[in-house]
Amino acid sequence: MIAVWYAIVSFMLIIYVALDGRSFGAGMLHWLVAKTPEERRQVIAAMGPLWSWHEVWLVGFGGTLLAVFPRILASAFAGYYLALFLILWSLILRGVAIEVGGHIDDRLWQGFWDFVFVFSNFLLAILFGAAAGNVARGVPVDADGNFSMPFFSNFAVRGQVGLLDWYTVSIAIFAVTALAAHGATYLTLKTEGPVHDRSSKWARYLWAATVPLFLAISLESRVVRPDVVGRAIHNPFCWLGVIVILIAAGMLISGLSRRFEMRAFLGSNFILAGLLTTGGAAIFPVMLYSTLAPENSLTAYSAAAGEHSLRLASIWWPMGFALAVIYFIFISRRYMGKVSVRRDTQGYY
Amino acid sequence: MNSSLSDPAFWSRFQFGFTLTYHYLFPQLTMGLGWFLVYWKWRALKTGDEKYNQAVRFWAKIFGLNFAVGVVTGIPMEFQFGTNWAGFSRYAGGAIGQTLAMEGMFAFFLESAFVGALIWGEKRLGSRYHFLAAVAVATGSWLSGYFILVTNAFMQHPVGYQVDPQGLLGIGSFRAYLLNPWALIQFSHNQIAALVTGSFVVTAIGAFYALRRLHPVQAQLYLRAGTFTGFIAALLVAFPTGDQQAKMVGRHQPVTLAAMEGKFVGGPDAGVAVIGQPNVAARRLDNPIEMPGALSFLAYGHFGSYVHGLDEYPTNAWPDNIELLYYSFHLMITLGTIFIVLMAYARFENWRGRLESNTWLLWVLMLALPFPYIANTVGWMTAELGRQPWLVYGLFHTVEGYSKVVSSGDTLFTLIGFVGLYFVLGLLFLYLVGREIGIGPEEVMAPPGAEHGVTVIRPREEHLV
Repeated sequence: MIAVWYAIVSFMLIIYVALDGRSFGAGMLHWLVAKTPEERRQVIAAMGPLWSWHEVWLVGFGGTLLAVFPRILASAFAGYYLALFLILWSLILRGVAIEVGGHIDDRLWQGFWDFVFVFSNFLLAILFGAAAGNVARGVPVDADGNFSMPFFSNFAVRGQVGLLDWYTVSIAIFAVTALAAHGATYLTLKTEGPVHDRSSKWARYLWAATVPLFLAISLESRVVRPDVVGRAIHNPFCWLGVIVILIAAGMLISGLSRRFEMRAFLGSNFILAGLLTTGGAAIFPVMLYSTLAPENSLTAYSAAAGEHSLRLASIWWPMGFALAVIYFIFISRRYMGKVSVRRDTQGYY
Repeated sequence: MNSSLSDPAFWSRFQFGFTLTYHYLFPQLTMGLGWFLVYWKWRALKTGDEKYNQAVRFWAKIFGLNFAVGVVTGIPMEFQFGTNWAGFSRYAGGAIGQTLAMEGMFAFFLESAFVGALIWGEKRLGSRYHFLAAVAVATGSWLSGYFILVTNAFMQHPVGYQVDPQGLLGIGSFRAYLLNPWALIQFSHNQIAALVTGSFVVTAIGAFYALRRLHPVQAQLYLRAGTFTGFIAALLVAFPTGDQQAKMVGRHQPVTLAAMEGKFVGGPDAGVAVIGQPNVAARRLDNPIEMPGALSFLAYGHFGSYVHGLDEYPTNAWPDNIELLYYSFHLMITLGTIFIVLMAYARFENWRGRLESNTWLLWVLMLALPFPYIANTVGWMTAELGRQPWLVYGLFHTVEGYSKVVSSGDTLFTLIGFVGLYFVLGLLFLYLVGREIGIGPEEVMAPPGAEHGVTVIRPREEHLV
């Protein structure tokens, strides 16, 4: 039961990353792929009316985490206090930038909100990447299940750790690259003209760059958490994740080279899903590893809500998810195809 | 309450109160406005009258801006449960987490999937689907209200829970938890209060256009729909829903009722103070003008009923800010009463056919716009201050709930960050909404040559995104 809930919560996080990752990536590449104001509108229109749909998956994830693993949410969110507020403020700025930028047809106004869009998405990609790095490395959880730590200490990964050290920073760099590549692949699918061509070029460069970075962080992870690798090779879900990554990489390469843009984009999503599956399965059942003493670590089993509450949650969760699938089908049909930015119609998407 | 700079519990409370109060300015309008959009879209489908479509197009823009600010200010709320209220999340997450997650999955997903279709999809989707999008968004916003109110009702009047061996809460009976009587009454009261806000805003914009002599057809539509709904909602928010809410407080939180009314001494024939200031140090109400027996009647149904006083409870069981609680409650009641009178008069003028021409009334209706927001806010302050000193009533004290690892300085720092960010966000919101109101709804105009049966739709300024 608890393992299933661990998988469900991870799954919701994967969906969130795959959906909102488009915005992080497109936002980071905004100035690189779109040069003129019209081109920049095209990028924003590709995010357009769906950013809140993407963002509410984070709410769904957070709520489910609170319901199922209340102790994880309590420890992690309080422990990551300042970083989490940076994430929240960036999310606010990102949403506002998308929403109000187009309200006034003025170069200066839109230029300003484009800057906010780029800045907040960059910060989000870095912070989410560093957060993933912290989960992998571990945090100084004490015997009561609490921790607090500085933003950065001496960049060492053992002893007195900070939010940013060379390990979490390299995870963040990998996340920035992979999410930018994901965004570029999405823009390739959704746009036309020069934005499309530049995005397609960036998608190739960035995906190529993720390969050496991935090898680097894999080696680093082995050094930082030697215990994980031994456990991971016995976990079938890790292998599932690896297989998904390999198949998805095949889809991505063939899609990008032969201009099957949908195939490439699906591949891009599955790569992110495969990466997170492998990572999530590798650390299971430990959700917050303690760098102070392994016995302080919060595991899925020690952090879960009561059996009865979990059973009740498994009644409504499938219903909610089934409805989400229906909405997803509606959205996919409605927003299929390239975005067009035209001023003579009411719809811009 | 220790309110010194070094008290983390105080700053966590203040931060949550501030971000939540600010956030709720936006959903209360979307929840109120959602059904106006549904109604107008339905009328447009039925009658084919273009004025209803124009109303939908115009208000969908206002709705969209509100919705966006509601989303971005709402996401921090959920995360603050973990960042600032880790003790509470650990203790009660197994119970209240369920409704927070359900709010995401059943309400937010529905709203956010269709809000784009509502605002931009009219031409792409066709009228019928556009109507369904309006229904989906309005339903989503009310569902979200329900799940949040179940969560709040659990904090006010915990039912359906069980305590696990480590002393933490989980859900015992889902039915009891979801159908908490407190939630049902609070939901009716709160949703109708949101309708009051929606009605007053629609009315105020109608009054503005009428005074400006702009968009006469639309102004009439907004004034009539707004005052009609506003009158009914203002009545219902007081009776039966507000009345039931107060009775429930009297039943389950008698000490809160005593504090709300400034009843320092219990007794039969308790009156309602129309005017008066609580003097907590002297334990009396200064300069009261009372309606005798009214409180006994309102809370328990008989003029002679015994109403508990604060003197019957130890001071550490009292809500920790009686003055603010008293003022909040009384301001809500006063505003609610004024709303009924104002809307009744507006409907009377409408019946006489003078609603669009009575300049004085139009001025008042226009300037009344902020007051339902104030009434909603002080209503929530009454509910939440009244719950103190408990976080989960009778089970868990507020001071046990905050995050022990977060210092008061960290909280104050993030609070200041929110104040700054939300101030800018507020300016931006007012500017953009003001701009939309200035541009106004597009209108069917009779241009020169209309005698040839040609109608020209004056294009309104188009917006990207």
